[in-house]
Amino acid sequence: MKKILAQAIKEWRLFRRDKLLILLAVLMPIVLMLLAGRTQSLRLRNVKLLVYDYDNTLLSRTYLETYGAALTFRLTAHEPGEPPERALSAGRGRAALIIPQNFERDALRGTGPIVQLMIDATDSNAATALGNMAEALNASFVRKSDLIPNVPARVRMDQRLWFNPGLSNPVYFGTGALGMMLIIFPALLGALATAKEYEMGTIIQAYASSLTAGQWVMGKGLVYVLIGIVEFFICFALGMFAFGYRIPTNPAVLLVATVLYLLAGVFFGMMMGNATGTQSAAIQGVQMGSFLLSLLLSGYLFAVQNIPPQIRWFSSLLPATHYVQIVRNSILRDVGWETSFRPLLALLGLALFFYMLNVLQMRKMQFKG
Amino acid sequence: MPAFLRRYLALATKEVQQLRRNRGLLIQLMIPPTIVLVIFGYALNPKVRHLRLGVVDESLTVESRDFIDSLTENVNFDVARRFVRARDAEDALNRLDLDLFLVIPSDFARSLHRGETAQAQVVIDAVDANTAQIAQGYLGRALLEYNTSRGADPVAEDRPRRMLLRAAHPAPPPGAPEVRPAYIYNPGLVTAWHYVTGVMSIIMFINASLVASALAVKEKETGTIEQLLMTPAQTGEMLLAKTSPVFVLMMVVMFVALGVGMLVFGVPVRGALWLFTVAGACAALAGIGIGVMVATVSKSQQQAQLLTFFVNPPITLFSGATSPIENMPETFQKISYFDPLRYLVTIVRGVTLKDAPWSALWPNLAALAGFAVVLFAISAWRFRKQ
Repeated sequence: MKKILAQAIKEWRLFRRDKLLILLAVLMPIVLMLLAGRTQSLRLRNVKLLVYDYDNTLLSRTYLETYGAALTFRLTAHEPGEPPERALSAGRGRAALIIPQNFERDALRGTGPIVQLMIDATDSNAATALGNMAEALNASFVRKSDLIPNVPARVRMDQRLWFNPGLSNPVYFGTGALGMMLIIFPALLGALATAKEYEMGTIIQAYASSLTAGQWVMGKGLVYVLIGIVEFFICFALGMFAFGYRIPTNPAVLLVATVLYLLAGVFFGMMMGNATGTQSAAIQGVQMGSFLLSLLLSGYLFAVQNIPPQIRWFSSLLPATHYVQIVRNSILRDVGWETSFRPLLALLGLALFFYMLNVLQMRKMQFKG
Repeated sequence: MPAFLRRYLALATKEVQQLRRNRGLLIQLMIPPTIVLVIFGYALNPKVRHLRLGVVDESLTVESRDFIDSLTENVNFDVARRFVRARDAEDALNRLDLDLFLVIPSDFARSLHRGETAQAQVVIDAVDANTAQIAQGYLGRALLEYNTSRGADPVAEDRPRRMLLRAAHPAPPPGAPEVRPAYIYNPGLVTAWHYVTGVMSIIMFINASLVASALAVKEKETGTIEQLLMTPAQTGEMLLAKTSPVFVLMMVVMFVALGVGMLVFGVPVRGALWLFTVAGACAALAGIGIGVMVATVSKSQQQAQLLTFFVNPPITLFSGATSPIENMPETFQKISYFDPLRYLVTIVRGVTLKDAPWSALWPNLAALAGFAVVLFAISAWRFRKQ
């Protein structure tokens, strides 16, 4: 234990000497978390809709108003003489609504005019959403305009949205962002610190020292876990301001999970450092392995269950997947040990796994004394 | 041969030799991006399927079962469990065993027969706002379908059922206007196309900055920068020599990424490839510029890498590569104009997926080129100040 502490103190002294590093350690999570929580949103708003109204009657304008009133669309006039294909390929709008001639006459006659909506489907997700939205708006126009007699509904369904009744995206991404912040930085520091020993050649001292591999790894990791915990509190405080975090009834779950998560992250980083032996390679490894993969596969952006089953197992190897789940459980759903038990176990397993990998790598090289 | 060219060649040869010895760097430049591209193309799927639906059926009649069937006859909802009491379903939702549950009260069938509007309730776990919204949409459609296809007769036997996926909405009554969406550029609605083109752009830009900063600061760390500064070469030549191997490498990476996108995901290239190349070159230059700039302010590789890490995520998040820029708050949308990656993403998608006209792309290319020149100039100036 004493040896672990001594190693940790040595590590801390090294870290403290680098002022820029400390500044980054504090500043980075704050800025990044705000960005990660605020910029990512899958809900469409103010999508530019190019309008081609070839009818120009009262009814066609009423029809357009239905679209204009929805927050999703923003009606935009097209440039005179420009066909919709060209306007779309130039990116002047994301969709074009084409109302045919005789729209009003056909509707009143009961011939059913067909309105065309051309959607730029480069972002297929947004395109599908826009298509559905348009169909819903069309249905609501039909209902309101008394073109056909209304039939009373047979069944009415009340919907209750639990845990996030406003369907707020910042709440969802804000909680995920906490997980992102805590994986990037500690893992990075761990990777750099280990790789640096290799670059400077001081790793030989570790090989030759009386510390066991386990003690060395633990002592080195401990400092970065502590830094991570400080970051956790900073981020949490920020979250209370920016994303409406509440302190959960049972904060112990979240705290335990955070420590395990940080351990897993730091050990992962150190493993990368061990494996590559150079700082720039270690960084790349961490960037790919923890940042990019966590960003996209952990359920921060897209629900894990949408990932095809062939790759889904990969998500469960990412500590972030489990941690983001626990964060959302604790902060948004406010549930305790029982619900978060499985992800906690997974985190523990991953932390141990990465720890063992480190120890094995180190032990191979250590002198037997 | 002019003197400056000779000096440049000498320095560039040194850099190439150094790079060649650094096989790890070469491997890490080529392989991870390819793997990442493939994983993301396959894995990222915002479509929501197989939501776990809990059912609390207090009515237990033909009508209630029929209603449940009509909601679950497509791939969007799977009945995960049935409950006797609503309380148990609530617990299950809390334990994350369910995504949503449906409660049908005991008077459901009676109300239907009386011709009243029967009630049902749905509780959705809305933590994931996007999924919840989509689930709401599915439910609304299924309900509309149920209500309209039933007509006036509550016990109509033969109810035409449609796959909800295929026909999004029940056919509107005759005479009413109808809207027909036409999905252009990506009629198959392949999700991967969007992400692959986005991730491709991210990799190009970010790898350039990471590698450049690593290489530039290494010289400083090992102390050999003094020797470099003593050579007769000018700082500009030095910088050019230092970055041109990285630049060439990045161009190779870019085409590898495009090749993977085309082969694995069938991403089309509809526009002019030279535009893609020029844009990629500008982006690589801008990325290298950022990398060198970062390297000049930091003392160690550690600091440099951390700084690039600090700079890169915002660039990624603001670029619109992963989520549409229109969705961001107004101020963030304005900030995104200062993000060089934004222009690259627009051009890459414009060239590959859309065949966008030159008139739409040149402002983006100009902006990107502007960024490349400015960033590279600043980095040269900072480099000289050393």
